[in-house]
Amino acid sequence: MFQQVDFSALNLPPSARALQLEVREFLRAEMAAGTFEVHLGHTEFNAELSRKIGARGWIGMTWPKRYGGQERSYLDRFVMTEEMLAVAAPCAAHWFGDRQTGPSLLRYGSEAQRGRYLPAIARGEYAFALGMSEPNAGSDLAAVKTRAARVDGGWKLNGQKVWTSWGHKADAFFVLCRTAPDSGNRHDGLSQLIVELKQPGVTVRPIHFMDGGHHFNEIFFDDVFVPDDRVVGEIGQGWRQITSELALERSGPERYMTTFPLFVELLRRLGASPDARATEMIGRLTAGLWSLRRMSLAIAMTLDPGPGAESGTPKASVDLATEAALVKDLGTFYEREIIDAARLLGEVEPQHNATDLFERFLTESIVAAPVSTLRGGTTQVLRSLIARRLLGPLK
Amino acid sequence: MNDVRNMLVDAATRIFADHVDAKLLDAAKRDGWSPALWQVVSDAQLPLVGIAEAQGGSGGTLSDHAAVLRIAARYAAPIPLAETALAAALLADAGLAIPAGPLTVAPVRGESISAGRGDDGWRLSGKLSRVPFARAATRMVVFASSPEGALIAVVDPAHCQITPGSNLAFEARDSVVLDNVAVETSALSTMVTPTVLRLRGALARSLQIAGALEAALELSARYAGERVQFGRKIAQFQAIQHELARFAGETAAAVGASMSAAGVMERGGDAHLAVASAKIRCSRAAQEGSMIAHQVHGAIGFTDRYALHHATLRLWSWREEFGNEAVWAQELGAAVAAAGAGQLWPALTGY
Repeated sequence: MFQQVDFSALNLPPSARALQLEVREFLRAEMAAGTFEVHLGHTEFNAELSRKIGARGWIGMTWPKRYGGQERSYLDRFVMTEEMLAVAAPCAAHWFGDRQTGPSLLRYGSEAQRGRYLPAIARGEYAFALGMSEPNAGSDLAAVKTRAARVDGGWKLNGQKVWTSWGHKADAFFVLCRTAPDSGNRHDGLSQLIVELKQPGVTVRPIHFMDGGHHFNEIFFDDVFVPDDRVVGEIGQGWRQITSELALERSGPERYMTTFPLFVELLRRLGASPDARATEMIGRLTAGLWSLRRMSLAIAMTLDPGPGAESGTPKASVDLATEAALVKDLGTFYEREIIDAARLLGEVEPQHNATDLFERFLTESIVAAPVSTLRGGTTQVLRSLIARRLLGPLK
Repeated sequence: MNDVRNMLVDAATRIFADHVDAKLLDAAKRDGWSPALWQVVSDAQLPLVGIAEAQGGSGGTLSDHAAVLRIAARYAAPIPLAETALAAALLADAGLAIPAGPLTVAPVRGESISAGRGDDGWRLSGKLSRVPFARAATRMVVFASSPEGALIAVVDPAHCQITPGSNLAFEARDSVVLDNVAVETSALSTMVTPTVLRLRGALARSLQIAGALEAALELSARYAGERVQFGRKIAQFQAIQHELARFAGETAAAVGASMSAAGVMERGGDAHLAVASAKIRCSRAAQEGSMIAHQVHGAIGFTDRYALHHATLRLWSWREEFGNEAVWAQELGAAVAAAGAGQLWPALTGY
């Protein structure tokens, strides 16, 4: 485990240290100015904050400058991400573009696509969402039924996506669909298309969360025309393209920090000298977070190709895929430990629309708790993947 | 990873792989340690890795030593490697010469030893319990309180009364009575204290837990790939796969936390946060990991014929030594609460 990682070198460089304080101060000021309100559970869509962050050059930080990036290191991006999470600053208006769409376009997109979308994402002015799941394709993503049929100059799209976060606010999304019938190998014949949500034939309908909130959507395609230049990468290569999620993307701070602000509010509530039971829980939670952050940072640091890497992608020569999957698995359960500690030590009966910050964070975290071990690959899918790497071929 | 450490890790791995076998481990259960293995490891100059050559060590960094300790624990090496390094580091910090041979340190259970002036220098008296490898050590580093202040002293265990004891893994953990024992060298120090020993000791046990977990995980994965039940290798059952995946997570957390803590201590960061976190996380991993290891192995795993117990008995001992997870969590929690909610994030993201 972690054989290729030098933990003695695990320290942020001066550039990342400076950025840390800069982002911290920026977010403090924006919060004080009322640009955003903090909610846990689902990150909010705040176009104003995302534009301000984009203006600072903090979206697409690792991308090449010619696409609106800053050619900064992955550690800088790590710091940016964790500072946002530490105060639960809303990031939905740029998160998917920054984390998934942008890197995918850098890897597989055409020059025209990069030019059209990347600078706009980096400015925080263009929001992407994700179009993967369907009613009968959850963990089993290769079961997607949404179909694109060849027409003159492009593709005609029909079908349905589901669980698309912020699809009602986003500008566009990547749609995984079938461009050739299932012919034995289910991973063949899948492609990724860019669909702009204002296009004719696209219908977005809300799926309300159990607390009544609107984050998720179902999206229907009725003869939506997608021109050839909106195909990402190669037709038929969609499966390979979406399953190349990198270790860095799997093991980021977003996997273990989404309930951190609740921990901070719990501490505030408990005061400077809590009883023995609370003190021990605080110690355990601190140790858990410290350890996860070290693991996550170790992966980011080891894979960091250094600033200005031309491809905008991390080092491929080091294999930390297992460690990254483990960070996600551990991280999602760590987030629940915070909720449980807050619940047991806070002794409040949670209610919707609580005005006290601690109580609001607790409520929002409790109802959102089932989400983290489902999205982006369930715990069970992840553990099967880890076991396959651990055990090797078994036949 | 830097090349020097890679070479060191390869060399250490080869030595332990070549010399630690079932026979050696069985003999060590009887004797409390393995003098034969110590000789080999000592000849390879592994015990004083991380101590500067100018101070009588082999050179290298604390992280180099951490890497060696983790590997030694993978092989359940029954020698006072951690203790010798602890003693040597404390002596070096106090400006005292490092004696040859296996060393140990005390007190590890908070006893108080008194120092008084004799005709020929300091003399120590008191009772020590659970001193690791006292019977094996050529010299013992002891913290004592004297009328002139806190004292770090070197004594010859041959002048003490030693009653053998052991931890769960049959490693020597001896009772030592000092009755007006002469001190060979000593220093009055307010910087090198039992608190430093406890911190460094907890780091050492965390690293050892990480190594033992790696060994247990490897054994478990291998066994699951060999053992056939219901006509299939048990590794083909998803129930087993998911337990092993969880085990891998606990192991990764222990490795990450303990190796990071060594790095922080080496660079002079917040060592209390780092070591407390590592010992808390590693001790928890020891519990989760050892239980999964035994569950996967079935009955063969809990016999003394099969290698797993060398790892798990150590895990169950080391998690308690130099403070278990509850003790460290209380300490860390108190510090975090006292600093206040606004300081948590800056502390976690500091050096």
